[in-house]
Amino acid sequence: MFLRQLDLTTALRPSLYDDESLLFVQDGVGLYEGKFKIPNYQNGHAYLTSHRVCYVDNVEPRKYAVAVDLKEIERTEFYAGFLKSSAKITLFPKATRRPASAIRSPVPKYASPSDALVRSAAPSPRSTPAPARDVNATWVCPICGFSNPVPANFDPSTANQHTPLPPCQACGIKPPLAHMIKASIAAMSNRPIGASQQGEASPKHQSLTPDGYPAKESASLPSAEAPSNQCPRCTFQNHLSLTTCEICGASLQSAGISSFQALRPESPGPSLGGKSILDDETIETIKFSFRAGGEKTFLERLKTALVQRKWLLQSAPPVPRPGLSPAQSSFGPFSSGVENQTRSSTPQQRVVGIAGLERRGAELRQNNQVVIGSAFEDLEALMTSAKEVIAMAEQFANANGGGDTAEARSIISDSASALGLVTTKDMLGSGSASETLYITELSRNLAEFLTDDRRGVLRREGGIMSLVDLWAVFNRTRNGIELISPLDFEKAAIKWDDLRLPIRLRRFKSGLLVVQERSRTDEKTIASMLSWFREPQYVFPPVDADLLGQTFGRGVTAQQTAERFGWSVGVATEELEMAEETGAVCRDQCLDGIRFWENHFTHAFNEPKLKDAAEMMNELRI
Amino acid sequence: MAATSPESSLSSFSTTAYTPSTTAYTPSTTTQAISSSGFNFPTYTSFPPFYTLQPNLTTRTHQLELWSTLISSYCAYYRIFRLSLSSLPTDLFSNANIHRSLKPGDVRTVLDHMSKPENGPRIDWIPSTTRNEQSSSCYVYWKTPGEWADALHGWVDETGQKGTVLTVYELREGDAVRSKEWRDMDEGMLRKVLNVLVKRGKAQIFGQEENAGVKFF
Repeated sequence: MFLRQLDLTTALRPSLYDDESLLFVQDGVGLYEGKFKIPNYQNGHAYLTSHRVCYVDNVEPRKYAVAVDLKEIERTEFYAGFLKSSAKITLFPKATRRPASAIRSPVPKYASPSDALVRSAAPSPRSTPAPARDVNATWVCPICGFSNPVPANFDPSTANQHTPLPPCQACGIKPPLAHMIKASIAAMSNRPIGASQQGEASPKHQSLTPDGYPAKESASLPSAEAPSNQCPRCTFQNHLSLTTCEICGASLQSAGISSFQALRPESPGPSLGGKSILDDETIETIKFSFRAGGEKTFLERLKTALVQRKWLLQSAPPVPRPGLSPAQSSFGPFSSGVENQTRSSTPQQRVVGIAGLERRGAELRQNNQVVIGSAFEDLEALMTSAKEVIAMAEQFANANGGGDTAEARSIISDSASALGLVTTKDMLGSGSASETLYITELSRNLAEFLTDDRRGVLRREGGIMSLVDLWAVFNRTRNGIELISPLDFEKAAIKWDDLRLPIRLRRFKSGLLVVQERSRTDEKTIASMLSWFREPQYVFPPVDADLLGQTFGRGVTAQQTAERFGWSVGVATEELEMAEETGAVCRDQCLDGIRFWENHFTHAFNEPKLKDAAEMMNELRI
Repeated sequence: MAATSPESSLSSFSTTAYTPSTTAYTPSTTTQAISSSGFNFPTYTSFPPFYTLQPNLTTRTHQLELWSTLISSYCAYYRIFRLSLSSLPTDLFSNANIHRSLKPGDVRTVLDHMSKPENGPRIDWIPSTTRNEQSSSCYVYWKTPGEWADALHGWVDETGQKGTVLTVYELREGDAVRSKEWRDMDEGMLRKVLNVLVKRGKAQIFGQEENAGVKFF
């Protein structure tokens, strides 16, 4: 369970947990297990976060991305590098296993002969790193019976009454802690049992078959099972390509993997030895080899992160408040009920009615004052109470939603989001390679910023915006800290293509640079423009006065196009000229400016008439 | 203007109005058919971008092609043999209904396009009398000189005038050619046609400018 599979964002960076923050990034990193290189994990980025050390491959990021949880690291070792061998940092996993993980791994720790048989029968390149978290874990709401997913970073062994629990998605009531722990333990103990059953089945089957055909038989075994992409929760038979159940929405991840194995029964044998190194149980050490430098800063921050233990924060009790007695805040870990959270924060003697409400309000204000006061006393204090301050900022933002102006609201929400994650120059090491690394990270940052649905930056601009506008918008969100220079910004934008991000930079004929989604092509733009031009031709009933419109459709100015599609006028002009260049539209220059029409020169007047009408109908259907 | 009937929305958009213009290009028969209503302008003359020279080269080629078809058929309809830039027919290069007209500079571009050998040539610039000056008028070949020569020779053959000498005046304005297409043809143009016949060895020209005579073989 040392190496976990890693979820990536659209920009191909690790997707972080709620409280996680990025500390350091370094490229040109390779992975070693013991003394041996791990194939396919030799050229990538290393991300150090407050919770994990992640490796994301440069060539196939989605396939080869793994993470090591900091809490499972026993110690680190540093090797400074000598002559041709580059500097390395070795991570040693913790040897001791928690009781919960004993349930998790009934498979023997060291490879047995039967183990090897299982592996050769059903080799699975994807399942070698341990799955990120138990994706199938669900808890059933005791109030409404809705089954919710257990949050990804919920760990039953460290959870206590202060662990924030998500409310039920259907009714909004928070579950009792014990309920949640039971659910997640149940989910964990279910899965390996299923896996081991399969493991037992294969060798048995193999021994039963007549000699000479073991390989064939074992290959057909998983494929017989595979077509049933059965939902583990509701047993609905889903289609093979689905990842979530159609009926109940449960994740089909494990089922999906088994079908993946069945699709590729013959995996190249020789590379197995190399791959099985990644198997969770045999792993002893993981080495990060820093071929492009940066190891010193990485090590330094890794050590700080190991000391700080941010992953404990989420389950840690809140900072003791002066108003509360110590006895109140120390509840037993499992004595909690539904009202546990609320009871711990209310005073003991109950005051009811308006007086009680007023008193609660006053206490809340006083409490906030104390938190803010102590937070800004010195920097250390700010660091430790950062979580609370952020929460408070968000709360203020929500509370002010009704009364204030839109501008004030956006400033407040910006200030909250500014505390979130952005790559800054000091997160990266110094050296010659750090400049390019900074650019690529900035490039990924930008892609994330643009694809973020909550902001909807691109959507608001009609799916396309000029690079200069984006620069302004992006820098504004940084609140005057760590502003990006235009030069860096352009370099980062140019990198989108190399990094295969879902955003692309486009240069118009005039040199104007614009940003748009990769999926949005010129053809689509032209098709949408033409259908707009043709509207008057197909109005029913036809407007008698508009003879011209009935014949040729509509002539539009760049201004009208900009209004219609939500573009800026500059972009609209460029798009129209692009369409003109492809021959889809033509221009009409008159005293009041240039109007664009559908190009009837090439389509309508020269070709056979019947075919022409048919063609236009075809085009319409597009 | 284009005789687009009110109910024409999609199919008639390019069919009905366009047909007369193509037939008008082949003269004599259809000229009489629509002579009552005047020249029937094709649909595209009411398309506003038609009066702006297109920057896209492919589109421009199509546009210029449409223009030369229009000019040829217009001149054939009104029997215009010679266009002069200083006195162009007003309704040819402008459309009052949509308030558009082709700029004089663009008219020259259109005519230049027509004068290229690969396009016919469908016009021929008349060299200006003074040197270093752009010519300002042209012959319009709604039939090529070769076709005219064939027609002329065919007429001479039909009427049994081979071997006789005819004056240029007779060929242009004589009673015998009253019903022929080439009546009132510009004199310079007729000379070009006769030169074609001379080159083919089917005619011979005698005498001077004013009272030249032509003998057909």
